[in-house]
Amino acid sequence: MHIPDNYLSPSTCAVMSAAMVPVWVVSVKKVKKGITKTNIPILGIGAAFSFLLMMLNIPLPGGTTGHAVGGTLLAILSGPYAACISVSIALLIQALLFGDGGILAFGANCFNMAFILPFLGYFIYKFIKDRIPTEKGELFGILIGSYVGLNMAALSTAIIFGIQPILFKNPEGIPLYSPYPLSVSIPAMTIPHLLVAGVVEALFTAAIFSFIKKVSPGMIYQGREQKTKAVYALIVLLICLTPLGLLATGTAWGEWGVDEIKDVISGGNQPLGFTPQGMENGFTFNSILPDYTLSGLPDIAAYILSAVAGTSIFLILFKVIAAFKKETFDKNSKLPSE
Amino acid sequence: MNQKYQIHPVLKVIFTFSLVILLSFSHNFAFVMTILVYTLFSLSLMKGNQILAILKISLWVSLFTFIILLPSNKYSSVMITVKVFTTVTTINMLPHSTKWSSITGAFKFFNIPDIFILVLDIAIKYIVMLGNHALQLIWALKLRSIGKNRDKYQSLSGIAGNLFIKSVEMSKEMYSAMECRGFNGKYITLEKKRLSMVDLLYMLIHIGIVILFFYIGKIVE
Repeated sequence: MHIPDNYLSPSTCAVMSAAMVPVWVVSVKKVKKGITKTNIPILGIGAAFSFLLMMLNIPLPGGTTGHAVGGTLLAILSGPYAACISVSIALLIQALLFGDGGILAFGANCFNMAFILPFLGYFIYKFIKDRIPTEKGELFGILIGSYVGLNMAALSTAIIFGIQPILFKNPEGIPLYSPYPLSVSIPAMTIPHLLVAGVVEALFTAAIFSFIKKVSPGMIYQGREQKTKAVYALIVLLICLTPLGLLATGTAWGEWGVDEIKDVISGGNQPLGFTPQGMENGFTFNSILPDYTLSGLPDIAAYILSAVAGTSIFLILFKVIAAFKKETFDKNSKLPSE
Repeated sequence: MNQKYQIHPVLKVIFTFSLVILLSFSHNFAFVMTILVYTLFSLSLMKGNQILAILKISLWVSLFTFIILLPSNKYSSVMITVKVFTTVTTINMLPHSTKWSSITGAFKFFNIPDIFILVLDIAIKYIVMLGNHALQLIWALKLRSIGKNRDKYQSLSGIAGNLFIKSVEMSKEMYSAMECRGFNGKYITLEKKRLSMVDLLYMLIHIGIVILFFYIGKIVE
């Protein structure tokens, strides 16, 4: 679901980034108001979680890959505003260090995965939980919320891809950027996510939520026991699991490289046959660990290394932010979710 | 690192220096990146304000290095910046996670002569004290001067001279005070820590790093 650079026209990127600015401003304000100093590192743990889940690629029907995002999980654990910030930072690190998702397309990626996904997922969860106030109702809400959230994010990605050939063509009618119209991009993005990735996201969300509820209820309910050690153990487990993402060999739909796109077969039996102009002479950015690989290291080692690097960076980042924040003595201040 | 998981200072000193040496010899980008990630990981275990203090220095130093190296080719500018960042962070993490007395204790373990430890121990403490003293002298001079002073250098040499005399006096006094308390020039380590599981793990990681160095890195190409 990470849109690379040059798949979207610069104007689309600008519009999406502009749309994200108010969301970020409101989120930062809400989180700043409601969070205590000790809770800030939890946002870092959240970002690390989301980062690791996005590394676990799953093979999808049609030879492409997909991944869970964990946005709904973060929204349930620390509120949708905090989730928006955590996922945005995870996406930023991915774009800057690992070349996953474009720099120019950062706004669009945030719109899909850091805005639509956590907010929609959270409100569906809350809606169901308030109607059915039992344990089962909560679980049901989590499953439906995360499933719908991920699929709506996929749909939104597909729409952003799909409007490119309608809006941006050269005089001969050949698309300049992403070449597939809505009729191709929507089924190509949504069907695999509806069938597999959404289910995986829902299962992951429910499993991790139940685990945290069991071992460290303080992260969900105020004033309860909070055991971060178990949560760190979970992160270590996820880091060790990330090389499983290498089993999925295909490239995710809409994330092909410039050299690949000519031969892609999608929406019919013909390969595309041309490289869109805007992609050929587009903006390129060389990240340090492109696609989580490092020349001179085997893929699995590089993958684990990337996972550890990402996780450490999030923890450092949020610990530093917490160090800047003055100690608040108000023990009753709550996260914005309550 | 938490107080609870305090790693044996001797191990820490050995492996911090070995890490820096391996890093400076390595020509392999993969090795350097691995060490960078390892350093970031250990940094992430520290407290927020410590991380901030360490990063402040290493980020400034790396930024400076990067700007200076910009005209060179892309490979060496990235490689050297990463090396500088990692080295400075690693070295800085040592005093932030270990008490100074434990570090001098570790020096004793390596049979470094007592006179070196004494000089090092006193120098570190006195740099701060003499700095404060010099600052006080400057303030005193400023408060007492009227109008414009064209001969600033003269007063500067006065401050320096004064500082030197003061430091000689202070060192004599301190040595006498130390003798009065029974110091005979010999350093003895009182607490003998035993190796814990965390220490073994730490040793394993660092031996792994050394093996990694010889496996993927080449000292001379």
